[in-house]
Amino acid sequence: MNSMTNTSHQPEILQLFIKKILAHLDETDPSKLNSFLQLFNGTNCKIIFNATPFAQPMQFLQMWQEGVVQTQHALNSVDFQVIPGSGTMVVNINSKVRFDESGRDKMGQDSLLDKGAPASSGRGRPIYGSYFGVSMQLVIDDRIFRNDFNGVISCFNYNMVYRPEDSLMRVQ
Amino acid sequence: MNNFHNVNNVNALAQQQAQQNRVKVSVRNWQNASMQDLLSFVSRTTRIPITNAQVEGPLLVGYVNNKDEAEKLMKWNGVRFSGQNLKFEVMDGSSGSSTSETITFLRNTLIRRYDPQTKMLNLGNLYADPELNSHGLFSSASVQSKMFPALMKIASRETQLVVDSLNLADNQIKDVKSISTLAQTFPHLKNLCLANNQIFRFQSLEIWKNKFKELRELLMMNNPITNDKMYKSEMLRLFPKLVVLDNVMVRDEQKLNAIFTLPMKIQPFFFENDTLGSSSTDFVTNFLNLWDSNREQLLSLYTPQSQFSISVDTSVPPSTVTEVDSNPSFGYYLSLSRNLCKVSVEKTIQQRLSIGPEAMNKLFKSIPMTKHHLNDKPNDYSMQVASYPQINGFIITLHGFFEETAKPEIDINGKPKSSGQNRSRRFNHGHSSVPNRLSKKSFDRTWVIVPMNNSVVVASDMLTIRPYCSNAWSLPQPPVAPAVAPTGAPLANPPAGPASMTPSQVPQPGQIPLAPTLQLPPDVQARLNPVQLELLNRLHLQTKLNAEYTFMLAEQSGWNYDVALKAFQSSVTNLPREAFIQ
Repeated sequence: MNSMTNTSHQPEILQLFIKKILAHLDETDPSKLNSFLQLFNGTNCKIIFNATPFAQPMQFLQMWQEGVVQTQHALNSVDFQVIPGSGTMVVNINSKVRFDESGRDKMGQDSLLDKGAPASSGRGRPIYGSYFGVSMQLVIDDRIFRNDFNGVISCFNYNMVYRPEDSLMRVQ
Repeated sequence: MNNFHNVNNVNALAQQQAQQNRVKVSVRNWQNASMQDLLSFVSRTTRIPITNAQVEGPLLVGYVNNKDEAEKLMKWNGVRFSGQNLKFEVMDGSSGSSTSETITFLRNTLIRRYDPQTKMLNLGNLYADPELNSHGLFSSASVQSKMFPALMKIASRETQLVVDSLNLADNQIKDVKSISTLAQTFPHLKNLCLANNQIFRFQSLEIWKNKFKELRELLMMNNPITNDKMYKSEMLRLFPKLVVLDNVMVRDEQKLNAIFTLPMKIQPFFFENDTLGSSSTDFVTNFLNLWDSNREQLLSLYTPQSQFSISVDTSVPPSTVTEVDSNPSFGYYLSLSRNLCKVSVEKTIQQRLSIGPEAMNKLFKSIPMTKHHLNDKPNDYSMQVASYPQINGFIITLHGFFEETAKPEIDINGKPKSSGQNRSRRFNHGHSSVPNRLSKKSFDRTWVIVPMNNSVVVASDMLTIRPYCSNAWSLPQPPVAPAVAPTGAPLANPPAGPASMTPSQVPQPGQIPLAPTLQLPPDVQARLNPVQLELLNRLHLQTKLNAEYTFMLAEQSGWNYDVALKAFQSSVTNLPREAFIQ
């Protein structure tokens, strides 16, 4: 019914937006957190990570920044459906993710007790483990097609669907 | 097991005949590949299949059909596989009886030296073991070198030996090579003692890199290697979770755990509230029942504005994901897939979105018939449900797997002159008649539903199909686990305690009869020694604290009864009601 409006590169815009979200997740610089936060709907946003809900986007981003090592996401598939009359669309994403298993957190801190001889100045190169599988569902405003990304995410459901046995990361 | 009256005995006899002719062979020198990879490589390259294969230490051992095949296989000695030259050997079974005798003897040695209380296998100072010596196991260097791998192999078969700690002190070990199979036998080892040996080269330890991922404590005192100035940093590099090295703390355990543990463990289910939980479970169960049996009946749930689309995620998970289907077949789905990462033409993206029941019906009929196992295997599914205020509805996501039971009613690829057919010709030459194998698939499916007039309408329905593999949310289960959810519906998640691998009814010598009100979780109880259990019991009876608080008190008091009792008396007024037996 609104097929005449659909010649506006919607799939490309959406795919770019999803890649932007994954890049935000992989970011280690805490000063970039705020621009990630701005993508989430500030007043009413549902965030679910591995079937655990978060009341506020900030809470989730803080957990991600402080409690999870550096990640690397790679997009496998994206599909979306605009729900007529709601001003929103549902996006179904599959991706894979691997974790920095070098033993350092996002800030480059390790757990070694002998701090006498620092191994290297600054953060070292990440040592990525095997890939985990991720399934994500988002509800986002169709304003992204009009170049407006402020508070567009109103539902963020992130779940790991498979895990490699050889990873050092414990998720259970 | 008695097949005497079975007419199929003829078959059995024929099989027996075939089994007698077969020849046992071994393959050496394979690395960086799974057993399956090796087997398929051998059968592809040599055209000789190896059957009944299993890994025995560094060897792959299996059977070929007859002597001829064995001889042919030997001619392939030195063939390159994954960067190594393979070595094939015929293993004669002539030493059968004496071998099995030795196995029984070594097995008894293992059991004699295993302590179930501490989960410790003590293989220290084997040279001084009078029984081993009397069997002549140290009579020559060649026998000696085989003994460790043999012991390890036997240990790996003894599933009741749960080994957290292994002592190999005082064994004149010069090179870790002779015990390298440890890593396969005890991959989850937590404590390892190699003190008082003659290990002097880092190089030999390199075999254990990326193994022993749970190793917490390592003792290497009195080995030449410890004098090297690189010693500590090398050990830290080889064992990423090492906390204690030669009785010295080398890593901050808390920080280490924080780094290697996700703050949120994976839960199988999330429902925004309980009502949503039961209604969405009902919806999904009924929907998938019809999806498996009669898809047309589902069409009444869709309005002319409802949408359905499929996307295929063809990326194969790493081989270290268990049960992964590394050669999945997506022939039936690919020409329907609306994966934006793969399809860039906007018109195609439009076409692959089904809007309204009519278009949906066609798409439903174009994908294989399925069987979901929501009722009989609820642990293989995970679900999240959240409200969707913009449409006064909610969004349900289900992750899991299904079996493909039959070909689709309409074969999109079979239509004459369709671009799909050209494709399948081009990419599948050589086996054109069977491009579409039916198999298990994993999936993620998201429904947006709107409650309406005592029923629901599906506004949006999105399905991702991906290669089958085991899921991330199930805990590893012991082989013969009882069914968890007798009711069938996946409503409650099983208690997420660490799955204890010890059978809980292992008869323990001199077991302490505990007070009936002192009920400890079996995995906790298994960790405690009789003295600790007795102390807990006394403390429990004296203080009337419940099991949890009794345990906490005992632990905090360093398992000293008097200290514990004093601590209790001084803090009794501050303890909450629920700390006591109710």
